[in-house]
Amino acid sequence: MKLLILLFWLLLGGTLQAALPAWRYMGQPAFPILLGVVLYAALNKKARYFVAAAILAGLVEDALSLAPLGYSSCSLLAAGTLAVLLRKEFFADRATTTSWVGALCAATATGTLALLLRSKGFVALTGRDMLWRMAGSAVLAAVLVPLLFALMRGLERRLGTWEDRA
Amino acid sequence: MKDRRWIALCAIGLVVLAMLNLPDAASRRVKGAVRDGISPLQAGLRGGVRELREIVRYVRGLGDLALENRALSEEIVYLRGEMRMAQELARDNQMLRDQLGFARRFPNKLVSCEVIGRDSTGWWQTVRLDKGAAAGVAEGRAVLTTDGLIGRTVAVSGRTADVLLLADPACKVAVRLKRSGEFGVAEGTGVKPGEAPTVRMDYVLKTADVQPGDEVVTSGLGGLFPKGLPVGRVAEVVLDASGLYQTARIELAADLGKLEYAFVAATEKDLAAARAESVPADVVLDAETGFLEGEGP
Repeated sequence: MKLLILLFWLLLGGTLQAALPAWRYMGQPAFPILLGVVLYAALNKKARYFVAAAILAGLVEDALSLAPLGYSSCSLLAAGTLAVLLRKEFFADRATTTSWVGALCAATATGTLALLLRSKGFVALTGRDMLWRMAGSAVLAAVLVPLLFALMRGLERRLGTWEDRA
Repeated sequence: MKDRRWIALCAIGLVVLAMLNLPDAASRRVKGAVRDGISPLQAGLRGGVRELREIVRYVRGLGDLALENRALSEEIVYLRGEMRMAQELARDNQMLRDQLGFARRFPNKLVSCEVIGRDSTGWWQTVRLDKGAAAGVAEGRAVLTTDGLIGRTVAVSGRTADVLLLADPACKVAVRLKRSGEFGVAEGTGVKPGEAPTVRMDYVLKTADVQPGDEVVTSGLGGLFPKGLPVGRVAEVVLDASGLYQTARIELAADLGKLEYAFVAATEKDLAAARAESVPADVVLDAETGFLEGEGP
């Protein structure tokens, strides 16, 4: 995946994520589109693309919210690292496995970000709220990530950048 | 190979640490630049969605057009009458204020903005406006719709501004009950599934005269929000656990779930600062007349 395509997905993901209202149920998590882009890079690309994706996606996410700069990058790096560790354990192209990994990583990213924000007093959350929200983002990611992967893979095939796979 | 991996890890760590420890001013600049860069995409997407919605509405409402047209014409006549009365009142008000030597609390300009996005993480109840410092929007200004107050600006870049909505628990507003004159502080209670966003007015004395249906307006205390802006109506009043205070649940006048346009109450100082960088003249409305700046009724 060329850096330009990565930037395209990050800008589109950020725009869509900021346009869609948060899900009203299960702690009101946002649709994890940027997380999906990071996971795609983590599961399908070389490490440097994943790291660049996580840092840039975090930058976009923080810029489009009230979170201090760097918090989302930390959470996305944590989630992406988990995906990289799991990468060899499953076949990334299967929708069901992608869905499970997406859910697990979304819960990790949400939990990390919640801990960071809570530790600095930016949000007032109880442990229960946090777990509920982690579950909510896991549900959203389980549905969204396989769809996003299919979309990104489709674009890559059309553009002929599929051979970039690590 | 192992060394290279460690070097890469250290580099990543350094980048993240640098981002986390950026000075406040630099962090604002970076965030502002990213927001400004993305804002045309957000505005474009918003425009596309609006067009689509218009088409659907047009197809659905073809039969109702004549009726709607008549209703709108009636509304224009009514609003013109109201506006003339408001102008008279504003003139009287101005005279009294001058006589009493009061500083004008209400800003006399409203910057018209379009809502182009929401908080990307979902942790806060915010919306993003398509106007920023370049159009005279500054931090900490009241944001309202034609129905009433919706929140205040919290993060402003050159071309965008984030508004912390009243429903967010971090948003607190000094309010007053219009009927009885009781004062209080309203704070957001978050958004619950299937319910309209509400705010809560705590620590109202047990003896205070508060009743469901009472209109709630900004009190102007604290200086953040101009006085008299409609906030909502009391929906429910309950005694707290101690039995000493009452808590009022307030239904907001503005629908925070369907925000498309909003007005930022800008001060002369904000606009003067923006004029130095050329303000788009078509977005500044005169609050007294409701007309675009430079135009008359």
